[in-house]
Amino acid sequence: MTSPYLHINGIRKTFGDVVATDHVELEIGEGEFMTFLGPSGSGKSTTLYILAGFQDPTAGDIRLRGKSILQTPSHKRNIGMVFQRYTLFPHLSVGENVAFPLRVRRAPQAEIAAKVKRALSLVRLDGFEERMPANMSGGQQQRVALARALVYDPPVLLMDEPLSALDKKLREEIQYEIRRIHQQTGVTILYVTHDQEEALRLSDRIAVFNRGRIEQVGTGPELYASPATHFVADFIGDSAFLTGELAEVKDGRATLRFNDGTHLADVPMHGAGARGGKAELMLRPERIDLSDAAGPQGASLPVTVEDVTFLGNNSAVTARTGWGDPLYIRLNFGHPMMGSVGRGDKLHVRWQPQDAHVFPKA
Amino acid sequence: MLSFLTPARRGSGLGMAMPALLLLLAFFVIPVAALLSRSVTEPVPGLQNYETLLGSATYLRIFFNTFLVSGLVTLITALIAFPVAWALAIMPPRMAGVIFAVILLSMWTNLLARTYAWMVLLQQTGLVNRMLMATGIIDQPIQLTNNLVGVTIGMVYIMLPFMILPLYGVIKKIDPAILQAAALCGATKSQALRRVLLPLATPGIASGALMVFVMSLGYFVTPSLLGGTANMMLAELIVQQVQSLLNWGMGGAAAFILLVVTLALYALQLRLFEGKAR
Ligand SMILES: Nc1ncnc2c1ncn2[C@@H]1O[C@H](COP(=O)(O)OP(=O)(O)O)[C@@H](O)[C@H]1O
Ligand SMILES: [Mg+2]
Repeated sequence: MTSPYLHINGIRKTFGDVVATDHVELEIGEGEFMTFLGPSGSGKSTTLYILAGFQDPTAGDIRLRGKSILQTPSHKRNIGMVFQRYTLFPHLSVGENVAFPLRVRRAPQAEIAAKVKRALSLVRLDGFEERMPANMSGGQQQRVALARALVYDPPVLLMDEPLSALDKKLREEIQYEIRRIHQQTGVTILYVTHDQEEALRLSDRIAVFNRGRIEQVGTGPELYASPATHFVADFIGDSAFLTGELAEVKDGRATLRFNDGTHLADVPMHGAGARGGKAELMLRPERIDLSDAAGPQGASLPVTVEDVTFLGNNSAVTARTGWGDPLYIRLNFGHPMMGSVGRGDKLHVRWQPQDAHVFPKA
Repeated sequence: MLSFLTPARRGSGLGMAMPALLLLLAFFVIPVAALLSRSVTEPVPGLQNYETLLGSATYLRIFFNTFLVSGLVTLITALIAFPVAWALAIMPPRMAGVIFAVILLSMWTNLLARTYAWMVLLQQTGLVNRMLMATGIIDQPIQLTNNLVGVTIGMVYIMLPFMILPLYGVIKKIDPAILQAAALCGATKSQALRRVLLPLATPGIASGALMVFVMSLGYFVTPSLLGGTANMMLAELIVQQVQSLLNWGMGGAAAFILLVVTLALYALQLRLFEGKAR
């Protein structure tokens, strides 16, 4: 059995009573772009800081190419990092900032000059050597920081919300640059963000963090199509949740009973839930359809239309279930119901069996 | 628009500044002018006071002592204050608050009392000598008072707060993430100190050093109590000339030289660090 390139092995970190991360377990392949996605305070930065050596874990291990790095101090780990805040050395020029890692490693002058030039070219800042950081925009400073982190060919590059201080347009521009740089250099990247769109755009795989734990790891499409938990379903993409009671649970499939007595049988169930417990049915507005006729058992619910808003290329329909929960449906232009559907219509929402998910509710 | 640039407005601004300017005139400019004029008129008109001061070995020795002690005090103060300020900047704020209170309290304690305390500590049978002998560093008591060693020790103690406070100010402003970045870039602790921390703290070191050096140049209490009569410093000379010898001419000339050196150093500091500090 070969060991993974980078293994985050059961990391737990507590600050007094606060559990910052718990059971963080992740294997990252060489050259992979892995993103930690989660809300603020979910333990993403703490995990990165442990990798960087700024903090020691309470328990667990970090192995790079099979060897633990926990005993190695930060300055010997060789890891690259771009921070959320601007961390260029304000008293050094751009060229000297990028040269800094090579100077402290006592590299020969000729090598330093060549590598600095190449690194600045990689982030498209050719010729900026003499510029002082104070005279650059935030986006430019983060690109210099990226050049500084890559100039010594680190085995892993850590990025902790590097774009969160930038405006949306600039952010997208630099996301594109980061992708290109990842492809060009093949460096292994651990990227932290709380922005699902950013995570989906950049990553090979995403680890979704919640309250210090990883809820699910997978590619963007995997997380969207089969979320393992309510939290993941809610965090990635739009979703509606309908709460009911578990009438029956068998072989990973559930029958839900809603308040007005409506039964929904044979829906895929995630997590442990017992008969009589509460559970939620998750549906995505863009994955459900509106129709005159009911669909197959377990893939359709009767609703009453409340409101229809025409939005150009689609119409947004608000409907209510028999027990009063709202549901939103998007009808694309050209849909047979578009134009005919109106307030008060009694219709059915339908979906593909694999698009509905049931999660137990605590 | 731009009304603050019109003459009327500027005039009224000057009017408002008048009381302050008059105060400055009364308490600073007039005494200095009087001093300067006495230094070139007494006992007879001419520059002979300055010639004597700068031309005789005795007086040059006093200048040398003054600059040597001030330089040493500045250097030692900086060496002690830097780690202290660093520790204060990174320790929990509550603990730092307590230590600041102690520092301020010591600054408010009577200067003479503090200096006499050092005389006791530094004398032949004092605590310092006894401790040095107990640890075996020396086997005979060494002379720590009535010389420049005592003066330097006493003044370092007095001046420390004036170095710690500005240093703490600049160090506190340095983002810890910058030092984390330096570490990940491969810098050892000493490389991070030399290449990042010290350059970023330089404006604070400079302003602290200027303050300590200038205050030391004109310091009287500590040199007169802890220094011997054989190792006079400039302030002692001025007092001696004016009080004992009633020689206002010489005293004025020495004071004026002190003032010129101080202003020159201040101008240098402004030139080097103006704008860079923030
Ligand atoms: N140095 C620290 N001292 C105390 N608590 C901390 C410290 N660092 C992080 N925490 C706590 O640990 C949790 C996770 O924080 P963090 O890893 O920064 O989250 P994220 O980066 O996902 O926003 C938070 O509750 C935070 O308050
Ligand atoms: Mg964070």
